[in-house]
Amino acid sequence: MDASRTTRPSPRNDTQAGTDAILDRMNRNILMSLQELIAGAARGDHACFAQIYERTHMHLFGVAVRMLGNEQAAEDVLQEAYVSIWKNAGGYRSSVDGQEIQPITWLIAIVRNKALDALRARTRRRAHEQPRAADSDADDEADTTADPAPSAAHLFDQAMQALRIEGCMSALDGSFRQSLALAYYQGLSHTEVAAQMNAPLGTVKAWIRRGLDKLRACLGAQGVAP
Amino acid sequence: MRYTDPRLLDALASSYALGTLDGGARRRFVRLMRDRADVRDVVAHWEQRLGQLALSVPQRKPSPELWRAIAARTQPVDASRRAPQARPSRWTGWLRPAGFGFGGLVAGLIAASALFLTVPGIFITSDQLAMRSGERLPQSYVGVLTDAEGRGGLLVSSLRYGRTVTLKVLGATALPVSGDERLVLWAMPADAAPFAIGTVPANGAGTLTLPDTSEKLLSKVSRLVVTRERGDSPAMPSADVVLSGACAKLW
Repeated sequence: MDASRTTRPSPRNDTQAGTDAILDRMNRNILMSLQELIAGAARGDHACFAQIYERTHMHLFGVAVRMLGNEQAAEDVLQEAYVSIWKNAGGYRSSVDGQEIQPITWLIAIVRNKALDALRARTRRRAHEQPRAADSDADDEADTTADPAPSAAHLFDQAMQALRIEGCMSALDGSFRQSLALAYYQGLSHTEVAAQMNAPLGTVKAWIRRGLDKLRACLGAQGVAP
Repeated sequence: MRYTDPRLLDALASSYALGTLDGGARRRFVRLMRDRADVRDVVAHWEQRLGQLALSVPQRKPSPELWRAIAARTQPVDASRRAPQARPSRWTGWLRPAGFGFGGLVAGLIAASALFLTVPGIFITSDQLAMRSGERLPQSYVGVLTDAEGRGGLLVSSLRYGRTVTLKVLGATALPVSGDERLVLWAMPADAAPFAIGTVPANGAGTLTLPDTSEKLLSKVSRLVVTRERGDSPAMPSADVVLSGACAKLW
């Protein structure tokens, strides 16, 4: 079929060829790795960017909803995050000092940073409004989602199992893991983790620091992310 | 505060990536990241580690309006005319003079340098800060490495007094490497034995940290090559050369 088209080109075939080119292009995008798609987006290829969205938006939306507790706020954050991904696709580095940086973790970091900005802005707004409307929770931005979210500790344990480092991490006391999980999945600040766990601020800071050190050691031993 | 202690930097980077670094400290750290490639590297490693935790978060479907809003803000104006296909062909047009051996290599280097002068942002994103400060390009070591047919393969750049090498694989196709091999970038000094600079990604971009400044390490290096290697830390480059090119001083 290809041979006949190349040897005897005819105007009637132009539309077909154009359609084929678009289909070829779509197929190629589907076969491309996320890393290659980010490189495509960095060159200004919007079809690659659309494919990045297609592949990652449900996962990233899950992360944003988990942090913000609210779908509308999570959509706003995701919109900012993807616009940022489009503009800064050239900033993704697939390897740093010979270590692979997975594209999905780069994308997750962008979404988490946008979500953290939104969370901190929300905290500031509430602190400001509190004297006037302490009991008015009618437009509370959190916890308006329909299905109950799994707890941060549960997500943390699941991740440890999936990474096969639950044994290594279990050397840490439960409160270390719990404080790290609250900070990661809910984007809580040190002060907020301390309030939630009813523990002194300095203690919580030490728990999280130890938790991070242990996580690095366990991931390194497993060869996941040295 | 001085940010020279690697342990302090690591602690700050992990708190930044987790999100517990807050307020003024977070803003100061973001400024530091803009200025220093080594700090960005430490953060990238922490984001890679912590990103593993997100894999257990259940997926959720946002409304279809979300993509429409994103597309409206990102789609190039008049997308039908400026189809994305136009870009790669223009890019290969730049590389076309590189099809003629050594002359092509020089032409490629000149073309790349010209592009550097006009649109530096395309190439070395991590060093953009240095360029923002003045109209002249910062003094750098630059190499455009090509394959045996003279096709552009890898752009290597490093600030003259910097300790970071920025790598960018040129073109849409990945460099040829199989699972048990890795691509290693070698410096070939005129009067000494070759030494390895680091591992090159098969596609996309990457950075490598040097043990000393580029000026110390690369001032007598005339050529750069990329070889396929099987061993962990080969002492000498194998004969399996994938790319090679001149190492030029951009000043």
